[in-house]
Amino acid sequence: MISVDPWLLITIILGFAMAWAIGANDAANSMSTAVGAKAITPKQAVLIAGVLEFTGAYFFGKSVTETIRKGILYPDKITDPTVLIYGSIAALLAATIWLVVATKFGLPVSTTHSIIGGIAGYGIAYAGLGIVNWDKMAQVVLSWILSPVIGALMAYFIFKALTKSIFESENPVRSARIWSPFWIGMAFVVIGAMFYIKVLHGSDLKTGVIFYGIPLGIIVFIFSYFLIKVRFLSSDPYTGVESIFKKVQVVTSGYVALAHGANDVANAIGPVAAVYAVATMGLAGMQVPVPKWILALGGVGIAVGVATYGYKVMETVGKKITELTNTRGFTIDFSAATVVLVASWLGMPISTTHTVVGAVIGIGFARGVKAINKDIVKDIIISWFVTVPIAAVVSAIIFKVLMVVG
Amino acid sequence: MQVWTKLFAKSPFKPLIKHSDVVLQTVETLERALRLWYEENYEEMEKVAIEVDRLEDVADRIKEEIRDSLSSKFLMAVAREDVLIYLHMQDKVADAAEDTAKWLLVKRPKDIPSEVKELILQMGTESIKAAKLVHEAIVQMDRVIESGFIDKEIDREYEIIKAIESVESKLDGLDTKLMQLVFEKENELNWGEGFYILNIARTLSNISDKAKDAAERIRLMMNK
Repeated sequence: MISVDPWLLITIILGFAMAWAIGANDAANSMSTAVGAKAITPKQAVLIAGVLEFTGAYFFGKSVTETIRKGILYPDKITDPTVLIYGSIAALLAATIWLVVATKFGLPVSTTHSIIGGIAGYGIAYAGLGIVNWDKMAQVVLSWILSPVIGALMAYFIFKALTKSIFESENPVRSARIWSPFWIGMAFVVIGAMFYIKVLHGSDLKTGVIFYGIPLGIIVFIFSYFLIKVRFLSSDPYTGVESIFKKVQVVTSGYVALAHGANDVANAIGPVAAVYAVATMGLAGMQVPVPKWILALGGVGIAVGVATYGYKVMETVGKKITELTNTRGFTIDFSAATVVLVASWLGMPISTTHTVVGAVIGIGFARGVKAINKDIVKDIIISWFVTVPIAAVVSAIIFKVLMVVG
Repeated sequence: MQVWTKLFAKSPFKPLIKHSDVVLQTVETLERALRLWYEENYEEMEKVAIEVDRLEDVADRIKEEIRDSLSSKFLMAVAREDVLIYLHMQDKVADAAEDTAKWLLVKRPKDIPSEVKELILQMGTESIKAAKLVHEAIVQMDRVIESGFIDKEIDREYEIIKAIESVESKLDGLDTKLMQLVFEKENELNWGEGFYILNIARTLSNISDKAKDAAERIRLMMNK
């Protein structure tokens, strides 16, 4: 007979709530460009995002979980197991509350910021500023700054390369037939490499690229090359190219969803895994790998979030964004997903939202987007900076309360 | 996340094209009025000329709407100033057409030499051609942005701009020719008719002048 620790049960419920919040307001991002460019309907988006977020979370979400769980605080300074349990609960609750409030006000906050703020908050409340690994925190903050910047640069150059390779050529329709599969193939080179690293636990990126990424990319290239040859009949190059990318976008959006699941599930299940480690083997067990069922829990939570709340978001997006063409949508997705996956390989907890916003702005600078609202960009950036302190303060308060009443 | 719906601002280009559509209608209506004037079908002409006036009003209203909605808080593919000045110039094209229509309405001339009438009609056709090309230019500008500013589309845009400029310089020649002609025929015309003709010519060449200014702004939009 297995006895379930009541605190573990509470954490599991909270972890699920957090995963739901991630799915509700963050996972919609992965599909919003495709919905905005009318490549898929909101309903299809929900189905695809739900399945792929789960897949990403379950199969790809491992090492990042460890980074968030252990990286921000020095674990050896938490000698009391109850602190870790209460702390994880406080962090999860704070992050979830902040996410729900922010969603209510339409603020684009990062789930990653929220949970890091929550963890740092209880840590500081417990043992003061010294418990926070500030080097790690600095690295995290740096990655928040870097991810939109790299996302922007990547999108800028991919967009330029894409337009050069297709529209600039003598025969755009013919170029589209070759170059679109090339770009899709490239996306799958990255996916293949990440599959090797995440699922097969490989450590050498080169091996991943050569033995998984490139073969997969080539297969996808050939497959899509012939598919386009058969299906692509338009005489107007612009309409034709957009119609190709309309289909490609479904794939790249799926790729973003997969990457998002892999990267952001850690935000919900990291604290759950921490409590699980305490409950099953004490503090020394912090080295324990995250059990698959916890990843599944996070994956299901995200999928449910997408289905219940994300649907509403995507519906609005589909109706309101008219300024996004399929090539732009593709570029945003491809850039963001690549940045997120590479960062995830490096173990850096980065935000999908930041990268995608960065990518949109990058295309704006490449003069690919007709108009971007600078005020909203400012709001977004402000929200990036306030999320950590707010989540930290809320988490610290919850933690203190739990220590008194618990 | 609602951010996606707020991040993308409304592009000014579709409304600019909408405004241009009305300007195009205005000059095309003027063209009809001018032909009726040439045929001395004054009754019909007056109705059409009044329609020019009405269309110009519509263009004005669209212009105001665009101005109000074009916030400085947008990051745009083209400079906001260029868009606003372009809009101003595009609207001036309709204004100039309205001016011509007004001059057509003030008088029902009887004995204007056919050579002069011929030349006025020619000036009108040319000048209105420039205005029609502006419409093409702004539609092409939208395509330039759509393509991500690729050279081929930019080149096509430059061709349209050059065509506008060449029409404008051709019109300068016709303008001079008309002035000379009016003075050659000064014995056949009274001062009122001369004044009337020269003013129609002036307002007509104004249309292509403003068209050229608008084209100039589109050129600036492309070299940010």
